[in-house]
Amino acid sequence: MDTSSPSAFVNGALLRRYIGQKVRTVIQVIGSDTGSVVGKSTDDLQIVVRGPSPTPPLTTYLEVIGIAESDNSIRAETWTNFGNTFDPQNYNELCKLANGEFKHLFI
Amino acid sequence: MAVNLTAEAIAKMLNGEVTSETDMTPVLQVTELKMIQTKLNQNHESSNRYKITLSDGILWQQGMLNTSLNSLVIQGSIQFGSIVKLTRFVCNQVQSRRIVVVADVEILVEKCDIIGPRVQSGKPNEPGQSSVFDQQRGGLGSVNTQQSNGGGFEQQQARRTDLNGGRYGASANSPQPQVVHNNPDAVRYGVSANLPQPQVVHNSSDAGRYGLPANSPQPHQVGHNSSDAGKYGANLAQPQVGHNSSDAGRYGLPASSPQPQVGHNSSDAGRYGLPASSPQPQVGHNSSDAGRYGLPASSPQPQVGQRYGTGSGYPETSPSSRPYGSSNAGYGGSRLEQPRAPATTAYSRPVQSSYQPQPPPMYVNRGPVARNEAPPRITPIAALNPYQGRWTIKVRVSCKGALRRFSNPRGEGKLFNFDLLDSGGGEIRVTCFNDVVDQFFDQIVVGNVYLISRGSLKPAQKNFNHLQNDYEIHLDSASTIQQCYEDDPTIPRHQFHFRNVGDIENMESNSITDLIGIVSSINPAVSIMRKNQTEVLKRALQLKDMSGRSVEFTMWGDFCNAEGQKLQMLCDSGASPVLAVKAGRISEFNGKQVSTIGSSQLFIEPDFPEARELREWYEREGRNAHFTSISREFTGAGRQELRKVITQIKDDKLGTSEKPDWITVCATISFMKVENFCYTACPIMNGDRPCSKKVTNNGDGTWRCEKCDKSVEECDYRYILQIQLQDHTGLTWATAFQEAGEEIMGISAKDLYYIKYEHQEEEKFEDIIRSFTFSKYIFKLKIKEETYSDEQRVKATVVKAEKINYSSDTRFMLEAMDKLRTGDANSLPVKLESSNYRSDALNSGIGTSGTRETASVDARRDFGLPAANQVGQYGNQYAGPINGITSCNACGSNGHVSANCPSLMSEPQGQYTQGRYTGGGTPRQHVGGY
Repeated sequence: MDTSSPSAFVNGALLRRYIGQKVRTVIQVIGSDTGSVVGKSTDDLQIVVRGPSPTPPLTTYLEVIGIAESDNSIRAETWTNFGNTFDPQNYNELCKLANGEFKHLFI
Repeated sequence: MAVNLTAEAIAKMLNGEVTSETDMTPVLQVTELKMIQTKLNQNHESSNRYKITLSDGILWQQGMLNTSLNSLVIQGSIQFGSIVKLTRFVCNQVQSRRIVVVADVEILVEKCDIIGPRVQSGKPNEPGQSSVFDQQRGGLGSVNTQQSNGGGFEQQQARRTDLNGGRYGASANSPQPQVVHNNPDAVRYGVSANLPQPQVVHNSSDAGRYGLPANSPQPHQVGHNSSDAGKYGANLAQPQVGHNSSDAGRYGLPASSPQPQVGHNSSDAGRYGLPASSPQPQVGHNSSDAGRYGLPASSPQPQVGQRYGTGSGYPETSPSSRPYGSSNAGYGGSRLEQPRAPATTAYSRPVQSSYQPQPPPMYVNRGPVARNEAPPRITPIAALNPYQGRWTIKVRVSCKGALRRFSNPRGEGKLFNFDLLDSGGGEIRVTCFNDVVDQFFDQIVVGNVYLISRGSLKPAQKNFNHLQNDYEIHLDSASTIQQCYEDDPTIPRHQFHFRNVGDIENMESNSITDLIGIVSSINPAVSIMRKNQTEVLKRALQLKDMSGRSVEFTMWGDFCNAEGQKLQMLCDSGASPVLAVKAGRISEFNGKQVSTIGSSQLFIEPDFPEARELREWYEREGRNAHFTSISREFTGAGRQELRKVITQIKDDKLGTSEKPDWITVCATISFMKVENFCYTACPIMNGDRPCSKKVTNNGDGTWRCEKCDKSVEECDYRYILQIQLQDHTGLTWATAFQEAGEEIMGISAKDLYYIKYEHQEEEKFEDIIRSFTFSKYIFKLKIKEETYSDEQRVKATVVKAEKINYSSDTRFMLEAMDKLRTGDANSLPVKLESSNYRSDALNSGIGTSGTRETASVDARRDFGLPAANQVGQYGNQYAGPINGITSCNACGSNGHVSANCPSLMSEPQGQYTQGRYTGGGTPRQHVGGY
């Protein structure tokens, strides 16, 4: 397993901790422009994801892996459609656990 | 007293002029009141009825009080001597006699002396009547003769005291031995003719009957007391005293002894046959519960002052001082001369036989009763009784049961029932069987008003029928149901007998009650496995009411979705809805509980006075009041779904206790035996389910079922899947039968059979098998140890298989983690469960990260070890005993101290370090449960 460039699970609020580092998050797509997608994080914050646009069509939920640029923007490297029935609450809990009590379990 | 009894009322009732309150509302006096316990249900209060005798001062007439009036009797408003106006009654001809069924009365005078001489109405045209009396007189005459021959004894006295006021029958003061008959109920006493020393005292009353020898110098006597239910076998061959002293009592007392001194008292159920053949029998029987005394007067001069029963005993020291009440004249000594009709034929005959062998039964009016074809008059439900032929009730259907089929040794059948209400507040259930079901099922609509006539009244089946009526109606093909298209607003739509929660605490379990309360909280519906392996929904809520108590109320089945959903929505929106429950069953499962039964009805925010009152109370004070629950507090959702891991089946010795264990595991199907995945099953319907036993091929294309003893053209195919389940702890074999098999395969066994064997589409078959192997399911398993050929095997049966829903399963695990982190040792529901959560939680961490999903168990263990040093929950679970101690220090970081670290106490140490794969590894399924 490649552990050379780990990506941290984040939600909107946790993004600021990883500015300049690699993160992964799931957003609910609100709108997309050329070169950027505006989405809602699992904790209901707005996140702007820049980078090479994903190939449409986009599903409701997108996973984004990339570098945190600011506390509300990510430069995307990988886009993944996560379907329309994703459970954002669970993901949000995962992010909290992965950055809190159980941080040691995650790379 | 300024009350006049209605003259001639009884006579008119007897000749049929007056049959109900529409003809006349007579004022009559109660001259007799007896409680009759129907055999139906002895400990049920409502099964008591009161038999009543009414007098118009000249004649008297027997009748029954409706059960709705029982309370009046209990509180004493109707008692012996009461003068009442019959405001609702029906006068019926039953067999040979007339019975007045009193549905409602107006009490004019509660207590009054008996007016006039009491004479039972003689029935005209009664052929046997005169001869009866002749016989009786003859018998008595002979008694006297014999007695005088037997020697002159001073006479004995008998007294009887009645619960209701006391009636005294005493023998006349003659020097001759004599017979005293006291009998309010037209019971006859036969006294055998050849008694050597007959001193016979008969006493009868409801609560206390006394035989009291008074001052007898030569006390050869029989004091004979009996209660309602006693039966005394008469010995006809011997000289004897036949006593009949109550409705049902029959006494034969052989009195052939030279010196019989028998004080004889019996309790309610006692039966006494007293052969008094011993030379000097001195028998005192006191066995009653109400205190009845028979005094053997063995002392030469017994001056006995006694208290009997309710304490209204009158000691008699001298015959002349006998306190005859004015009312007693009618049935004291003069009674013997009065004509008496055999009103209670059934009772009187055996007595007659004691002085004349078996006179023929003298039923009168046995011929066909002329049918009353007059237009129907509405009978109140409360007045219905089995002794009525033709009646019509005007009723509203309050509840209609589903059509049910049954099968018993006599064959199959179907039935349905519905409940009726009428304007008089009566309620009764109607049951229809078989053809009658077809006739009426579609016609009955809840809420409509009908005229229903004919049908037979049967004792209510209290197991199934909770209505406050001793009877239920069975309709037959001659019954008619006619809908009244004009609604009758006087007939209520529903009728409740609400009890408050505080009362329910003291009510017997399994009794049925109506309940109204505020829903303070409601739990989500959960599905429960029943014994017959079907699932049923259950939903619990808390009801509280003005008694300051709350109770857990459980809805079952469809109630959970319909009413339950509505209540859930109301509660979720912050409201506290009023819920009225019609016919809930009280159970003692968790403290006291109330739950729905099939015929329960639920009313949410109903619009009737009780609900409004409750709502007002709740807004005023109830909202902030403290409630004590009469149920055990609900313990949370963990109870019904016991999540385990596979190795726990073995480690916890599941299935080895008396009952099977029901568990849920989250596991992957790792292997399935493709041979014999199904069997040929009998499709013959047995009740509402197919027989499903194995059928064998006859060789001619037909299939034979041993159980049904029939052959069928085409058989069914049912799954009997042997699958291997695997989770992160180990694997086990399990069997999935038809329903669970279909859930797993997503295709019927028959289709799959045809694919494999008829169409030989091997590739398609393998695709199907592949489609579910290595997919994750939530399995509900039944674990039970069974013995096959002396070998004990723990068998796991899949009762439900559900493809895992990752989202909800993750939520489940998050919840478990939450509980684990926030709670201390006490709040952990079950120790083993807590270890479950941990293992699941670990799984979730791995699963969600997406990196170790396929990691071997060993790899997970490795993974767990380093974690143990930091987080006790995980480390402890997976690291076994070595880390068990140290891990608590890690726990400390989470707020635990090692002393009360839940993992220390709960962990089955070393569970995972040994035998991980060997645990469930051996195939140990036994096929052939069919």
